[in-house]
Amino acid sequence: MKALILKDFYVLWRHFRYFLALLLIFSVIPKSFSATFIVIYAGMLPYSAMAYDERSKWEQLAAMLPYSNRDIVLSKYVFGWLCTLAAAVLSLGLQALASSLWSALLSPDFRVTALAVCSACCILALTLPMMFRFGVEKGRMVMFLMIFLVCGSAGILNAMVEAADHSRLVFPVLVVAGLPAVALVLTAVSIPLSLRFYLARQQ
Amino acid sequence: MNAIELSHLHKSFGDFAIRDLSLAVPGGTICGLVGENGAGKSTTIRLLMGALRPDSGSASVLGTDVSSPAFRAVKEDIGVVLDEAYFPESLHAMQVGKILSATYRQWDQALYEHYLARFSLPEKKPFKDYSRGMRMKLAIAAALSHRPKLLVLDEATAGLDPIARDEILDLFNEFTRQEDHTILISSHILSDLEKLCDYIAFLHQGQLLFCEEKDTLLERYGLFTDSQENLDCFQPEAVIAAERNSYGGVRALVRRDMAPAGFQMEKPSVEDIVLFLVKGAKNA
Repeated sequence: MKALILKDFYVLWRHFRYFLALLLIFSVIPKSFSATFIVIYAGMLPYSAMAYDERSKWEQLAAMLPYSNRDIVLSKYVFGWLCTLAAAVLSLGLQALASSLWSALLSPDFRVTALAVCSACCILALTLPMMFRFGVEKGRMVMFLMIFLVCGSAGILNAMVEAADHSRLVFPVLVVAGLPAVALVLTAVSIPLSLRFYLARQQ
Repeated sequence: MNAIELSHLHKSFGDFAIRDLSLAVPGGTICGLVGENGAGKSTTIRLLMGALRPDSGSASVLGTDVSSPAFRAVKEDIGVVLDEAYFPESLHAMQVGKILSATYRQWDQALYEHYLARFSLPEKKPFKDYSRGMRMKLAIAAALSHRPKLLVLDEATAGLDPIARDEILDLFNEFTRQEDHTILISSHILSDLEKLCDYIAFLHQGQLLFCEEKDTLLERYGLFTDSQENLDCFQPEAVIAAERNSYGGVRALVRRDMAPAGFQMEKPSVEDIVLFLVKGAKNA
């Protein structure tokens, strides 16, 4: 699996440079929506890797190499999780640095970033099986769903934070505890489903 | 021991099917898989690499059933080159090496770099900027650098210029100098197979028509070029197929052991045999 993640990393290496520039800009914009958005968006990077795979027909070669089908499928999830975590850590670091330099900026909110990571995992779990079923080319409808989910979840999280700030209420406990649980359940269902779709497509 | 053993394989795709395919490739030999486009060569290769599940029948490679979990470890000993290199286009040769060194336990980076130098492949040039020949050379370097015992080549020399092809055929010959090394190669370039192979397997419309030693095959058949009247002296079952030539006579592939005495025959090439056999199968 290490080889497959390394392959995706190399394939997206150029892409990462633009992504890092976006991350820098979005993290220092004084609105939590932008920082949340970029963390959730990082979870979508496996789709770019899958698009490159599809274009080069990498799957035909991968089927000949000593990778298990499980590793091929799981590597996309792991790659998505790693990208999301890396974006979250970088975003928090940049926000902390920016707020220490310019006091007018908001200090980083760990809860919102953690929830953004969970949202990214949920979106990945919901959409990856469709990508394995239809491929990236045919899965354009899934792309629209993804854009809607990414923007929607970033907006909802942002609205929840603002509401909690205005009313000086504790951040909704149900969301803080519930979203990671939802992400776990969705992922547990999503991985076997993706594997099944991948195998069916291979045959 | 046979390096490859396919037994009564069936795989149907609706409009096309591999039917009752049984094939044995002895270890230490080079077997050429020939057939028209769509005859089932690539499907056979996917079946024997476990990338496709057969509807029935079994396949084993290097003594291991390809459907068993143990086959994944056996893939360490198999180098595969497909009709395209299929590496993602943004990668360069050094990145391909790093990915494959994390893929194969027995990856030999020094050997890989030796092949890159031997084929004059730039290490940092993106794969998308490689020519067709360079791409295939990279795929071959990658397939050889984990020191496989079996090479499976699917149209690996297609689209290469004659000099590059010759260089690669030399490399395959070097590979088989070790007596436990085996090659299965599918190709449309029958002259290459004639130079390289010990065995020729011929697939036609999803069925294996024969798999025989090349020398036996070349001895069994003769090319008879004469008049139709003289060809009529042959028993019908001795004539595999015939065509009219531009001088009003005929050119036919015939079985030497069934030919009447006194008739002169030329030695056919593998290409002649395959072309006449396809013609014969179509006329049957």
